[in-house]
Amino acid sequence: MAKRITIDPITRIEGHLKIEVEIENGKVKDAWSSGTMARGFEALLQGKDPRDAPYIVSRFCGICFSVHQIASARALDAAFGAKVPWGGTLLRNLVMGAEYIYDHMLHFYHLSALDYLDVMAVADYKGKDAGLNKVKDKIVGLVQQKDTFPLTPRYNPDEYSVKDPDTVISAVKHYLDALQMQVKAKNMGTIFGGRAPHYQSIVVGGFTQYPNINQIAQFRSILDELAAFVNEVYIPDVLAFGTGPLLPLAKAGIGGGHLNYLAFGGSEMDEAGNKLLFTPGVIRGLKDPSAIKIDPFDQKKITESVHSSWYKKDTPKHPYEGEQVFDLNREGAYSFVKAPRYDNTPMELGPLARMLVGQDPTLLGLIKDQGVKPGVVARHAARAIETKKIIDALYTWCDALTSAMTKDEFKIHDTDHWEPPKEGEGAGYYEAPRGALGHWIKIKDSKIANYQAVVPSTWMASPRDEKGQRGQYEEALIGVPVPDPENPINVVRVIRSFDPCMACAIHLIDPKTNELRKFIVG
Amino acid sequence: MTRSFDNLSRRDFMKLCGVIAAAVGLSDMFSVEEIAQALEPTSKKAPVIWLEGQDCTGCTNSLISLEDPSPASIILDKISLRYHESIMAAAGTVAEKAKEDTIKEGGYVLVVEGSIPEADDRFCMIGGRPFKEILKEAAQKADVIICAGACSSFGGIPTETPSKGLPVSKLIADKPIINLSTCPVHMDHIVGTILYYLVTHKTPPLDKHKRPKMYFSTYVHDNCRRRAHFDAGEFLKDWNDPTQQEWCLYEKGCKGPDTYSDCPVRRWNNGINFCIDAGAPCQGCSEPGFYPGNSPLYKAV
Repeated sequence: MAKRITIDPITRIEGHLKIEVEIENGKVKDAWSSGTMARGFEALLQGKDPRDAPYIVSRFCGICFSVHQIASARALDAAFGAKVPWGGTLLRNLVMGAEYIYDHMLHFYHLSALDYLDVMAVADYKGKDAGLNKVKDKIVGLVQQKDTFPLTPRYNPDEYSVKDPDTVISAVKHYLDALQMQVKAKNMGTIFGGRAPHYQSIVVGGFTQYPNINQIAQFRSILDELAAFVNEVYIPDVLAFGTGPLLPLAKAGIGGGHLNYLAFGGSEMDEAGNKLLFTPGVIRGLKDPSAIKIDPFDQKKITESVHSSWYKKDTPKHPYEGEQVFDLNREGAYSFVKAPRYDNTPMELGPLARMLVGQDPTLLGLIKDQGVKPGVVARHAARAIETKKIIDALYTWCDALTSAMTKDEFKIHDTDHWEPPKEGEGAGYYEAPRGALGHWIKIKDSKIANYQAVVPSTWMASPRDEKGQRGQYEEALIGVPVPDPENPINVVRVIRSFDPCMACAIHLIDPKTNELRKFIVG
Repeated sequence: MTRSFDNLSRRDFMKLCGVIAAAVGLSDMFSVEEIAQALEPTSKKAPVIWLEGQDCTGCTNSLISLEDPSPASIILDKISLRYHESIMAAAGTVAEKAKEDTIKEGGYVLVVEGSIPEADDRFCMIGGRPFKEILKEAAQKADVIICAGACSSFGGIPTETPSKGLPVSKLIADKPIINLSTCPVHMDHIVGTILYYLVTHKTPPLDKHKRPKMYFSTYVHDNCRRRAHFDAGEFLKDWNDPTQQEWCLYEKGCKGPDTYSDCPVRRWNNGINFCIDAGAPCQGCSEPGFYPGNSPLYKAV
């Protein structure tokens, strides 16, 4: 008989998420993903000076901080008719690249790794390495003090958990090292961003901080340290786990879900904008990874459904047209998250989607040579692989900025388009760490008339749509083994592999201020 | 004996305590010995419950942004972090039980990040319960409540959203509350305040908005490196002009003249930079009016 269990809160993610699963014969038979916190940011933006938007929407999320800032600034750039000078674009790319590196490392080591490690196995380490023995002493010391928070309590380790003391202790050391590294990555972003989380220097038209050569040198010096860590520790760790102890999990393709992938593409590698770091494209129903069919991406095919969400009933709409009013009592609704669809199809976005659409040779190698299937492990691998791509791109952008600064016409801001236009509309896209992000703005009387954001975690954490299609988190859980309903460790592994960001996912937009004031509450 | 900061010598440990005290702004108030005493592993670390309401997790991110003390030494050596949704290993009922057990024990530091929805409890539910209930329950046996960031201190951005975010002080009246109100919380402010409490078991002297005077007693404007340009009437108009780079940002909307915080002296992220040094106006994120009262952000006040 099916047994229904609820995991609430799902921890080690950004924000508030509840997952319910129905288990039959030791496997997940059905799943429901539910976002349980809402603020209603965009309503606040209505009627405000459009230039406020990038600063305010950055506060959608303080983990993937500033991704909304840049998407918003790009939407404003389009609406204002501003042309961001190459210097401004490079500075934006540099600070966002720093955010990527911090974010991906934090996700693997601090938000996910504890799902795969039996941390307490470090006590059995017998080696002589001084650094590792320090780690052992530290953990054993906590155990002796009978205070191992926040490493415990936890779900019990299972068949997929790594228990070999040598492997575990080196991973725990890297967990601690990576804590330092994510500080450094934020320091690096701060050199031009002003502070982190929530950079201060991305504005419509470009950037506020005029760079100097010393700052670029400082940036590069931290980048060197991060590159060494990513190349020598992070990527080897992910590959060693993925093709070693976690290979059975990887080959089983646990957590694959719909196998539909979407990337908007982006991040300019040259001044003309011809060469992008990430390729746009769509993959539907990936079956044979050796013959991936990639369709072009067309933003007109994006719609958002509120079928199972706590808003007044409505048909799916394109982000420019959406009209949602809260209805916390609506029958059949179970989430604040809406359901974005591409051509009526649920999608996965983020590192795995980007690396598949971009046909990344390292990821394809893992799939072809090692038999890794798209799922939990492939997602972690794709994230590590793209961190390296970002590192390489950051060096290119540092060089490009150095060279741009030698030119007389060097500029960082389109000052001619700083004042808001009377009327205008624009869309801004950005490939954020968790996936493709879009912001849409309409301006009337030089004020914000409508503001919409369609966010990667919204796509993936979405509830069912009109056609009964599950969101990607829900679909990815189907068939996942849960031998012990008291210990649903595989469920949280699958969910965390997506790097959920719930504060981003739920951002409640309404184009008509008046209607919003009348939202329905119980 | 196992000592904090791994296996440092006594001398290095004391030196590090001095560095930490200076970094988070406590060196004028306490001797290195007093700090060291608080940081030395005692038989019991101070239990901490960190709750997240209507938040963006940016304040948690601040907590793990310092070099000294490092995030690992804060989380593992200095405090006993019993409950923190974004950091803890446990999930679901296992996580909730850790919180319940700590509440039963009492005598913990309660940190709150994010606001509390006034419009309807259902705008923030955790473990199937309204966040408001969870907060009230956790507050009862807390020794002190530290509000990390603008949302829990004053309501912040969510105040004027349909969910109508409330600050902690509107719901809890009978407990000492410390507001660390920048958005996000300044990494030095949150770590320094926790350390202050570990050293003294008292709340630091507070201003009328319950902000520690040690961080919030001067206007940003008064300590601003660009102040001379303000006095000389030199205002930045074009971010592209290298000759204007150090000029006053007043005409770009700087709220420094009305904002209490020690940002210009302390700067952010281990002293690397801060808003005004990045050519971006101060947006007054530490003041009760933030955000709606400060809009439009990029126009002269």
